[in-house]
This record gives sequence, C-alpha cells and structure tokens, in this order.
Amino acid sequence: MDIQKVLSEAAGILGPSGQEMQIAAYFAEKFRPFVDEVTVNDMHCVIAHKKGAGPKVMLCAHMDEISLMVIAIEDDGCLRLGNVGGVDPRILPASRVWVHGKEKLFGTIGALPPHLLTPEDRKKNYDRKDLYVDVGLPADKVRELVHVGDLVTFNTPFTELLNGQVASKTMDDRACVTMLLLAAERLTKMHCDADVYFVGSTQEEVGSRGAETAAFAIDPDLAVALDVDHATIPGSRPDTTVDGDSLCATIGPYIQPKPLQRLLDCAKEHHVKLQTAVSPRYTATDADEVGVSRAGIPTVLLSLPLKYMHTSVETIDLQALTEGGRLIAHFLSELDEGWEEDLWI
Amino acid sequence: MDLKWLTEMNAPSGHEQALRRALMEELKGYAGVETSIDRMGNVVAVKKGHGPEPRKRVMVAAHMDEVGLIVTSCTEDGFLRVAPIGGVDPRVIISKRVTVGDDRLPGIIGAMAIHLQSPEDRQRVLGYNDIYVDIGAKDKKEAESKAPKGTYICFDTDYVSFGDGYVSAKALDDRVGIFNLLRLLQDDYACDVICVFDSQEETGCRGAKGAAFAQAPDMGIVLEGTTCNDLGDVPETLQVCNTGRGVCVSFMDGSSIVNRALFRHTIDVAEKNGLSYHIKRSVSGGNDAGAIQRARAAVPTVVLSVPCRYIHSPSSVVKYSDVDSQLALTKALLKTL
Repeated sequence: MDIQKVLSEAAGILGPSGQEMQIAAYFAEKFRPFVDEVTVNDMHCVIAHKKGAGPKVMLCAHMDEISLMVIAIEDDGCLRLGNVGGVDPRILPASRVWVHGKEKLFGTIGALPPHLLTPEDRKKNYDRKDLYVDVGLPADKVRELVHVGDLVTFNTPFTELLNGQVASKTMDDRACVTMLLLAAERLTKMHCDADVYFVGSTQEEVGSRGAETAAFAIDPDLAVALDVDHATIPGSRPDTTVDGDSLCATIGPYIQPKPLQRLLDCAKEHHVKLQTAVSPRYTATDADEVGVSRAGIPTVLLSLPLKYMHTSVETIDLQALTEGGRLIAHFLSELDEGWEEDLWI
Repeated sequence: MDLKWLTEMNAPSGHEQALRRALMEELKGYAGVETSIDRMGNVVAVKKGHGPEPRKRVMVAAHMDEVGLIVTSCTEDGFLRVAPIGGVDPRVIISKRVTVGDDRLPGIIGAMAIHLQSPEDRQRVLGYNDIYVDIGAKDKKEAESKAPKGTYICFDTDYVSFGDGYVSAKALDDRVGIFNLLRLLQDDYACDVICVFDSQEETGCRGAKGAAFAQAPDMGIVLEGTTCNDLGDVPETLQVCNTGRGVCVSFMDGSSIVNRALFRHTIDVAEKNGLSYHIKRSVSGGNDAGAIQRARAAVPTVVLSVPCRYIHSPSSVVKYSDVDSQLALTKALLKTL
C-alpha cells in the first residue's frame, strides 16, 4: 500500500464531524480487499470486519476533520466563519480554503491589514469574527452559490519534509485510519484467531459519538483506540508532549492496564519503539467513550505523535506510522482466549 | 513570461538573482531594447524614443523583490529560527508552507496546538521569537547543512485564478509591475523609456535610489501593487482603494507627494482616453517614488498601483483587469511625453 498516496488522497476528501459520508466511502473501499465484510453505519462509521473465532476486538481511529462553516454573507460578498471542531483562529489569516457551496469555490481568508489597525490591535491575534473568506465574486453571485451552513475546509497541499516527515491537513486522525489499513493488510498474511473490527469512527472532534455507538453495536471484548498525540516542538512545556519519532501508549485510569501491558510486551518482542505518556484523567480520544460502552469495554490507547495539531500543516513521521501498522498486526495475531485472565486482579 | 511564472519565481530582497537572470534572458528577445545590470543589481532596459531630440527621458520602475524570511540560526532539535525580509506580519504566516533556499527545500511554519495553549497564550501574538520553520531536520547539524544561517525563505504558493477574474498568488507586489514593464517595452514611444526592474524595495527602496541617480531621468513612473482593503464590511474610509475599479493613482503616500502638475496630467490622460482609474484614499505606506523623486536635483514622479488584497501575505489577491488597467494608463501617459 502506498501510504503517502492514501494520506494525500484522504486529506483532499471532505469529512467534517457529522458529514463524513465521502471520506467513509473512500476508506470503506480501502479496507475492502483486506477483510471479509465492510459496512458504513448510520453515523457514517466504516466498520471493516475480519472474521475469527477468537476474542472480539474493535480498533478505531476517527475520520472526521475540524473545519469551518459559513455563518454569514456580508453585503460586499465576503463570508464570515464559524467553527466545526477546534480550529485555532491564529492559523486562518491568508490561508487558502475551499468553500463547499453549490459549486466548490476557491477562497482566501482575509483580515484588516496591520497598517489600518491601532497599535493595541496589532498586539492582539485576529479573532474569527474579524476574518472573512474572499471568493472573488460579487455579492449577488455569492448568494446564489453559497448558503449559511455551507462548509469551508483548508486547501493546503501535502508537503514532504526531510527524514520521512510529512505535513498536511487532517493527519489528525486519518493517519491513524491509515495505520489500521496497514495492519489489516499485514494481517492478510498472518495467522489471526481474533474476530477483528476495524472502525473508521466519526464525530470524534465533537465528543466521540461515532465510536460510542459503534462500540455498542459491535460489543467487543476489548478495544484499541488510535489517535494522534502532541509531539515536542520548541517552546512546548514538559510532560505535555511526546517524542515525535515513535509511537506512544497511554497510561492512566481510562486505560485498562492488562491489555496495555500486552501491547507494551508485544512492542518489546517485535522491536517496535513504543514510549508511554500519562493521562491522569480523560484522554480526549475515542478511548474515553468506548471504555464505558455497554457494561464497560477494556480499552487501550495507541498514539501517533503529531506536530501542530489542528492546523493545516499537521506533521507526522511515516516510519512511526508504518511501525504502528506492524505493532497492531502482531498484537492482534497474538491475542488468544487467555487474554482475559486476571483482568482486574 | 506570464504573471503566473513571475509570481512563482523566488526573489526575496537582496537575493533577486534568479529573477534577474531570467529577465536578462527574456529581454534579449525585445527589439530596440538595450539591457544591462547596474551597481545595485537593478535590471535596466532602455528603449530609445522615435521623437526628435531632445527627448524626455522617463524612468518607469517596478521592483523585482518580494517579502520573505531569512534563517538566523538553527535550534538544537533542528528547527530554523527566522527573521522577516521586509514587512511580514507574523500573524499571517502561521500554518503556511514555505520553500527554503534556492533548492526550494519544503518547510512549514507550525504553532503550538490550540490544546496546549493557555487562555493568555491564545491572546498573545506569536512574534519572530516564537516562530520556527520546520524542514523535518533531525538535529542542528542536519538543519545547518540544509539551511545555513542566511538562507532565504519564500512563501510556497502557487498561482490560482478564481472568482470573477481574480488571481491569488504570492509576490503580486510587485510582479504585477514587473509584468507590465515587460509588456510596455513591446510598444514604441516618442520619449526615451528607461524601464528599471529594481531590487530591494521591500528593505528600503535601495535599488531605485541608485538607479534614479545613475539614469538621471526627467520624470519617474512607479508601477506598484498597493494595499487594498475593500472586503470585510469595512467602512469606505478604511478601504484605501478597490479591486475592479482600475489602476489606483496616488496623490501622496508615506514617502512622496506626487508633483501636482504630473498628477493632474495623469488624470487628464486617463479621462481623455476613457481609461478606468481611481484615486488612492490613504497616504500610508511608501514605495520607490520616495527614492526616485529625491534623486539628484529632484525628479517629478507619479505612482500607479494595482490594488492588492492581503499584500505581503503568503496569498495576496488582485483583479487581473486592474493589472491590464495599470498597463493601459502607463502606456497612454508615456505616449503624451
């Protein structure tokens, strides 16, 4: 599988929280060759089932993306913006976007130029309400093509940096969906007893509603959530970030310790570099909702470090992603009926 | 050599070599044009007029250079620390792509994730002390080998036509002027036309100053891109100028006051020829006119600008018809001299 191709194609597909239909269709096709059955449920979750007689495992990574929405059209034809998920307003000025109206329109985000600002205003960041999208059309034409509620997404090309690092929009969390694809592909050539459900989840950015309902439907014995975690950059505070070049497993009350230990042991055995991070309370990922689905589901969280989360230049390490696919495949392959013994003792 | 090609060329102030070379090559094919590079690195293209001696010598200037960044050092973990070349508001470069050096190594400008910011952090403007270019280098050694101190950095923005005849690109200030210098040299005039593709405008109008002294023209015309703020529901008084209303004529700005007779004459020429134009409604900013009008014993100089939204950002916007309008008025004006 050409990872970069999948990542860049996926980044170009619309899929804000609650409207993941197109990205779900894309990933459904990608999973199909590697599993027995693929369905897309009412929450737009992709559920790719590889049948087995062993323990039932759900693995999930979310397909939805943060985006923007048209909340007003001014008399001069410019568009005002609202948030769908946590877009940092600091990244908006001079960003290029797609406006998903009746037609897909190219736009640039504008703001008052500095020489027209007061000295006090120059010391402040632009607020979302001071910014607008310029689509280069007169107001009457804009009103014909664009409506309040239409989506606005970043239009940033995929960028290859040195040492196998790549930057793009929506690496959070389509890089981890891609990691699941890699694992599914590897498993086709490995022995595996487990009954595996790979889930492309939805609405994570607004509270993991896709994973919550998928977990109910699947009713797994065990779950692995995959998401991105903050990689260290200049100025980041200690203990808030992890190393950028290797995977990370989370330790904390929301994470079941026994399967976590299994994951750590598995990484050690197969020489996959796996660091750990601590979440003293919630993890702010699908793991939180999946863990309390039905009567409770033992859940672990595997993270891919990412720089500049929730920007249009989210940066990951391809080697870490590939290693993640390998680790998950081994973890699934080695799951046997005995995994549940002494779960809480 | 079209506007797309010109904007996608990299020529930050003080490092205009690539564009200079390309212009010298391009101008070889222009009939009756004598081209040279002067002491400040300006490309000077002279087209003698067909009028009787003594002919007026008119310097028409546009600047080759663009705003950008320059590497000042590399951090231990391989990130590039940078300073702006020209006026680049640090607030418009967050989460943007750049190219580093002549080999155009891809880089990005990231920022601390919103999740990791305190409420105070969110208010604080990231300055050049907080901004890093990330090329993916693993450590200082690799960063320094790929992007040593002094490496120039440009925005990585392709040229896009969009909307109702609009263009989004980097460096439209002042590749629109460069584009029109090339186009006006393809016509004939009675006066001597000295086209100066000048250097270092964004860092203090240094190229034009030397060129104006060296050429000692009778008159100056500056072709610029100027700030335009006509969208975003802003009051008319703050808009400066408007896209779609043709070339913008300045009566004054931060660095020059246009010779009143020349200003009136320019307006007369536009009116008589039925050419679209409008008057700039702000006196802020400065450009090569400030340098040219003070050359030697003074040179009457007029500024004709293309209104440019989001100027000095990675993604500026002009209306193509305004670029054509700048050419039309410049040519009409030259024909009267």
